[in-house]
Amino acid sequence: MSLEENIKNELEEKFPFLASAIVIKRQRRIFVDIPQENFAEVFSYLIMKMQFSILVAITGLDEGNNMFGVMYHLCRETGQMCIARIHIPRENPLIKTVTSFFPSAEAYEREMVDLLGIHVEGLAPGHRYPLPDNWPVGEFPLRKEWKLEARHDIKENPHV
Amino acid sequence: MGMLSKIVNWARIKSPWILHFNTGACNACDIEIIASLTPHYDLERFGVVLKGTPRHADILICSGPVTRQIEDRLVMIYEQMAEPKFVVAVGTCACSGGVFNGCYNVKGGIDTVLPVSAYIPGCPASPKAIIDGVVKLLGSLKEEPKKKNSVAVSQ
Amino acid sequence: MYKSGDVRIPLGPQHPALKEPESFMITLRGEKITSINIKIGYNHRGIEKACEERTYIQDLYLIERICGICSHSHSTCFVQAVEEIAGLEVPKRALYIRTLVAELERVHSHLLWLGVAGHEIGFDTLLMYTWRDREIVMDILAQLTGNRVNYGINTIGGVRRDISDDHKKDIMKAMDTLEERTKYYVGVAQEEVTIIKRLSGVGILKYDDAIKLAAVGPTARASGVKRDVRHDDPYAAYGELDFKVITDTRCDVYGRTVVRLLELMESYKIIRQVITNLPEGPVTVKAPRKIPVGEAVSRYEAPRGEDVHYVKSNGTDKPDRVKVRPPTLANIQAVSHMLEDRYLADMPIVVAAIDPCFSCTDRMISIHNLDNRKKMTIPWEDLHVQSIEWHKKRGIDFSGLNRKLRKIKIK
Repeated sequence: MSLEENIKNELEEKFPFLASAIVIKRQRRIFVDIPQENFAEVFSYLIMKMQFSILVAITGLDEGNNMFGVMYHLCRETGQMCIARIHIPRENPLIKTVTSFFPSAEAYEREMVDLLGIHVEGLAPGHRYPLPDNWPVGEFPLRKEWKLEARHDIKENPHV
Repeated sequence: MGMLSKIVNWARIKSPWILHFNTGACNACDIEIIASLTPHYDLERFGVVLKGTPRHADILICSGPVTRQIEDRLVMIYEQMAEPKFVVAVGTCACSGGVFNGCYNVKGGIDTVLPVSAYIPGCPASPKAIIDGVVKLLGSLKEEPKKKNSVAVSQ
Repeated sequence: MYKSGDVRIPLGPQHPALKEPESFMITLRGEKITSINIKIGYNHRGIEKACEERTYIQDLYLIERICGICSHSHSTCFVQAVEEIAGLEVPKRALYIRTLVAELERVHSHLLWLGVAGHEIGFDTLLMYTWRDREIVMDILAQLTGNRVNYGINTIGGVRRDISDDHKKDIMKAMDTLEERTKYYVGVAQEEVTIIKRLSGVGILKYDDAIKLAAVGPTARASGVKRDVRHDDPYAAYGELDFKVITDTRCDVYGRTVVRLLELMESYKIIRQVITNLPEGPVTVKAPRKIPVGEAVSRYEAPRGEDVHYVKSNGTDKPDRVKVRPPTLANIQAVSHMLEDRYLADMPIVVAAIDPCFSCTDRMISIHNLDNRKKMTIPWEDLHVQSIEWHKKRGIDFSGLNRKLRKIKIK
């Protein structure tokens, strides 16, 4: 049995609700869809018990159907990558910060706040980034419906 | 032209001091600008010296499209330079916005913000093109120092 | 955070030390940095959004221009992800050529870094030397791909140009020259007192901190973290090549210099292997214009560290989401840690030592504060006394002069 299947079996054994949510895309790539309410326990299990101790990146994406996705790319020293994903409703885009596990997550979380408008609970206040300081409030360029062509005020205004 | 201004102009052409500013470029033009100053291409043989502060510089070399974040700072740096001052746009992005045209955080070429004296196209502009551009700019200064006529450089 | 007696110095976005716009707000107590606030984002252009509005082939050229120094890294990383989604079997020869360009890029980037590091410590001779030698690689790259920077050699399903026997001969010859020059630089780094004194013990990042802050690339490897995507998660032709992962346990800027220099030697070894073992065959397979629905994560060891791309497709000719995690974004967080309680003068070299590439990163803020120690406020006079003591300890004593001056005043 391959290493990836071992990981899959271990996760399924520990968390039965993940039964159909684990996909092995290819060697060293495992995608796990985690229900939002169970995220904390699965995430800490992955880090603490399964040696996925490196946070490579956090990706936020607009999935359409009024849902946002947040993907945590976790990695092992040996090169296996586990992509833990949660889906959150667009009406209430709220996630908890993971900076207690990974101090380096701050940058990725701020990016989601700025570009997608996802609220991150527990993230220390700080400057906005990566958008300019004078970027209008409530404009999230990575959302699907946001188009620059439709935003003449931003496009034309020299001081925005 | 008085004697003094003649001497000043002569000095400026013989040894222009440049300031390099990245306005949102991908680094490619920046490394080519540095490459043109290092021994293989050696722009310094024309008296070109890279300076660290806008107060000392005659020529502002800009690379990259102007991002919204950098715009104010670019203008601030330009205002700090002493007259007469010249702006050189290095690279296609600096000339017109290039591939970044239409990105939400990009304003366009350097000329959307500052008056540009020389355009050096190329992605990135090769050191040879940069040398050609600078030499052409210096040549245009010799004829008419007050007039900031634009020169376009073929790559 | 801010106390009386502390001095705040804003640095940037335009400053002589680094060529890219970024700004630092440094809080100093005496000569020591107590907190540093790095603000990046001047280079944010909105590439991720632009990718969603363009076709895959257009994106390829756009992504190449995320960063001019590691352009091949980004384009290969993106192409790998798209090929994985489309299920394309890339010809072996193409993979070898990709590896070849990747290693040539690493050579040019590391030589560039060595020059910049020399410049930051006031050793401009090194800058001029390495940049002269770097032109050898640039010529090879121009010959091979048609451009000095932003090579445009990748395409979905392979590479756009084949290499000929003449190319091979030129590359082998260039490798000999470069290897000899690099040996000389290794000698300089080992013997030159200026370099050793200036770089040792500066910008320390311990093993545990490197793990905790998720440092990548030579920065992590110089702290003893044996992590290299080429080795851990082989892509292109790296699975079939023989090379060592260079690590060092010095944990400082000097260690990072050594790691990069020895990596250069490994790169020459890899390039020679690629040239000798280059398989025959086509260099590209036909790729569909519309990429089927799917998603993939691709990793790549750029000269600066691990580069990660996530691509999601929706069945059209435009991607649904492209996410780029450049190496500098992972490393910049370690910089404020390296600088805490260090002297202001070390700042340029410590920042330069991670080989920052802010056009990749184009974002990010990090605030680090050392003030979890006991509160202290230093009045002006105490600071004056402290500075005299500080100089006395180093053998500089002006107290005699002061006494003389006082006498003159009394008269």
